[in-house]
Amino acid sequence: MTERQVQMRLGIGALLAALFLGLYAIPAWVSSPSNVGNVVLSPLFWPYALAGLTGLTGFGLIFSGFRSDRDGAPLGEPDGEAGAAWVRLAAMAVIMGLTMLLLPRLGMVLTSMLVFVSTAFLVRTRHRITAVVCAVLVPLVLYAFFAHVAGVAIPQGDVLRLP
Amino acid sequence: MSFVDSIAAGLSLVGNIEAFLALFLGVAIGVIGGAIPGMSATMAVALTLPFTFAMQPITGILLLLGVYKGGIFGGAIPAILIKTPGTPASSATILDGYPMAEKGEAGRALGMALWASCTADVISNLSLILFAGWLASFALSFGPPEFFTLILFSLTIIAGVSGESLLRGALSALLGLLLATIGLDLVYGTNRFTFGDPNMMGGLNFIAVLIGLFAIPEILAMVWHPTAHVGKARRLGKNWVSFAEYRRSFKSIVRGSFIGVFLGSIPGIGAAPSAFLSYSEARRTSKNRENFGKGEIEGVAASEAGNNGVAGATLIPLLALGVPGDVITAIIIGAFMIHGLQPGPMMFILNVDIIYGLFIGLIVSSVFLFVIGSVAIRGFKYVADVPKRILIPAVLVLCIYGVFAVNNNIFDVGVMFVMGWVGFLMMRFHIPAAPFLIAFILGPLLEDNFRQSMLMSGSDPSILVRGPITWFFWAMTFVTIIAIVRAGVRAVRTGPAFGQKPEG
Amino acid sequence: MTFKTLGAICALSLGLAGAAMAEYPERPINMVIPYGAGGATDISARTIAEPLGAAVGKPLVMANVTGAGGATGSVAVQNANADGYTMLFARVGSHSVNPAMKATLPYTLEDFRFVTVYEINPFACVVSANSDLASMEDVLARAQAGELSFSSSGVGSGPHLAAAMVLDAFGLEDAANAATHIPQQGGGAAATAVLNGTADFLCTNSSALAGFVANGQMRALMVTTAEPVAGFDAPTAASLGHPELEQMVGWTGIAGPAGLPDDVAAKWAEWMEAAAADADFVEKMEARGSIIRVMAPEEANDFIQTQYETFRKLVDDLGMRIEG
Repeated sequence: MTERQVQMRLGIGALLAALFLGLYAIPAWVSSPSNVGNVVLSPLFWPYALAGLTGLTGFGLIFSGFRSDRDGAPLGEPDGEAGAAWVRLAAMAVIMGLTMLLLPRLGMVLTSMLVFVSTAFLVRTRHRITAVVCAVLVPLVLYAFFAHVAGVAIPQGDVLRLP
Repeated sequence: MSFVDSIAAGLSLVGNIEAFLALFLGVAIGVIGGAIPGMSATMAVALTLPFTFAMQPITGILLLLGVYKGGIFGGAIPAILIKTPGTPASSATILDGYPMAEKGEAGRALGMALWASCTADVISNLSLILFAGWLASFALSFGPPEFFTLILFSLTIIAGVSGESLLRGALSALLGLLLATIGLDLVYGTNRFTFGDPNMMGGLNFIAVLIGLFAIPEILAMVWHPTAHVGKARRLGKNWVSFAEYRRSFKSIVRGSFIGVFLGSIPGIGAAPSAFLSYSEARRTSKNRENFGKGEIEGVAASEAGNNGVAGATLIPLLALGVPGDVITAIIIGAFMIHGLQPGPMMFILNVDIIYGLFIGLIVSSVFLFVIGSVAIRGFKYVADVPKRILIPAVLVLCIYGVFAVNNNIFDVGVMFVMGWVGFLMMRFHIPAAPFLIAFILGPLLEDNFRQSMLMSGSDPSILVRGPITWFFWAMTFVTIIAIVRAGVRAVRTGPAFGQKPEG
Repeated sequence: MTFKTLGAICALSLGLAGAAMAEYPERPINMVIPYGAGGATDISARTIAEPLGAAVGKPLVMANVTGAGGATGSVAVQNANADGYTMLFARVGSHSVNPAMKATLPYTLEDFRFVTVYEINPFACVVSANSDLASMEDVLARAQAGELSFSSSGVGSGPHLAAAMVLDAFGLEDAANAATHIPQQGGGAAATAVLNGTADFLCTNSSALAGFVANGQMRALMVTTAEPVAGFDAPTAASLGHPELEQMVGWTGIAGPAGLPDDVAAKWAEWMEAAAADADFVEKMEARGSIIRVMAPEEANDFIQTQYETFRKLVDDLGMRIEG
């Protein structure tokens, strides 16, 4: 992406967000009592003000996008093999989603072990055996610390219940 | 009782091995606790509290103060090494500390963090001892209108941490302000963007947002491009900071310390805004301002001075007024009360020996912090040598544990993940994360104090200019905004330098 | 409530459920504190955890789950398994003021089963020492002139309701709106607001105010208990002719999810009796101005229900219910 593309895309995004907030999100999801004395005291005032400012910033971004070079240098380094990168990113999203599902069921220790292994292999670590050993040890050490030193009620699973 | 007598009385209280041992232990616990993301200084203090019940009052309180001070410094260690702030106060340290670690200069960054922290600690303690009474009465003249203007001024920091493009910084800040509106409304108690979920009613957990915004995008970037780091030197590098660098940053450190003292003595602000303000002031006035955000050692110094400067000063409202300045001092005040001590003006008359005992202990704590900090840095430095593709999953697991531990809530882990994606998108679009964070901290304060002012005055806006303090901050705000606008206009005139800077 | 009834309940439950649940507790019990570290609930909970842990015989794992005036932590327990391994430190704010005031609260009193209330906190009403308000009459007069403001630790918190209740009892018309409510983020900020003149008046836990009163920074005008409170040189509500305000007291109790088995509740009654007998515990709590009064499960439920109904009626009369 060039500077121009970044500014334009962000600007359009900000404008759309402001419209969405102002027209739908704030009326639907912010409740305000009927007996508000003054408009500046209403719970709606601040969100609307922010939505307005977001819109203004959106205009500013589009304007500065128009001003900048049409074919400026791209920001950031180019990413090779973008296809594989997207797949890995999607896999990471799945890992995170599964983590949320498994945490209450398997408990934090087992889930973390799985997270560790899958993430380490997702980033294609060169130290496979170390990764597996760490995947077992790190969650156990953290469990010992948080549960027994810090006294935190780390979620226990149905399968495995650590002392 | 004369001054000398008071000191003698204080000395007799702390002049035993037990008190110093407690202090030393406290600093050590604090540094370790602060260095574990999610543990944070607050939790370390809360966990230590029950152990102080059985101790002598002065020993117990010194233990807690040691944990507090150690914790604020300890937060810098993971901030620099793994881009995960150990406590919210150290988030400004990331801005330059982590780039330094990426360049293989983690040792220098950590060393500077320690030196700046200890210097600020000394300044903060001396301010407490010398100006407690004066600063306390000043703090009491801060009502909602004064707060509102102070926070409005603090929001101008956003310009200082926006990096390449001011507009993208503003967008980031607005996003932070919007997300901070989630939860129950302060004045009417109605729901805002909560979708009826009780987990959302309390608002998004600050630490979850913080870690999600800084640590998780780093993991996602790794997933996106697993070999980006190969070939970069990521070791502890040159092992220690040089005295010349310390001298060069000295002005920023002192300025940061006083910003910390000032903001610390006013209840309700806390260490994170102070670190950001100090950072942005250092950047504004530094010769090396171009290098800020890319691994400038002065940035680390300013940020760490800003947050440690708060640590001693928060005791000013605590001791002089009995008012806790933040969550940590609220816990410490509990410790006073358990021992039958009631902080406040009377304490300076009834328990003057304890007050002076605390003062002596505080001064010693700066020395302890230096010693323990040096050891801790040497201990933690091996983190920099761990292969990055082993480190990253470990950081992820650590974040899951830490974020859960903050509020014992699995929902917060989800918040962290979602914020991680937000942060990753922001990174892809070159939107800086720091303005988001500042806005997320200050936004609710701004809104609440504005509405409280309006309630006080019956919606009469003239209350916002009710006294010299408000005038002062209005003036500061206008001066800063004019300076920002002028800098922006100049940059646009001189061409593409403004808003164009490729970065990897 | 006597030892005999308690003993009978225990004996009965042990006899009935002996084999099935005799081993409760067989593992550590999670105790959720719905407020932050260092607050009144937290300190109270951690103080009783010591003798209570000894009585239980298994560790008690304390977990602060904060947010939304105690609602986040309460919901965590509401949704937990009713097996007695997840219990809640319930508080006046989360379990009688909030349900009375907030229509959108995700739980009701029916979702919980109380096993005890062990601590009562008198409420005190204070003004700043610099204030020219010297008595409740002065406060009322200023309120009637429409110039009184009061602080609280948030909308729907104990201090919010308490101020309205007190002003209403003293005869202020439309007490919810006639005086200006300036909510703050938390109890510490509410007291600071009175100190720095943001608000005139505050009614809250006496323990939160004792330090300021002792230091001469605040002046107490009234306490809500039947007996005067040590350290507060102020008349009781009854002596000012308003004994109905004695309902306005803080308390801390322990509750489980609604389906908590009888034998678990009985166990708790037994443990609480033992824990509250600990002299060290009583001394620590009384030093902070609390009154130790251990209620058995039935008594605790009645106590909370009565307080809730009083508050609910007041809230409806004054139109203070939060619907949104």
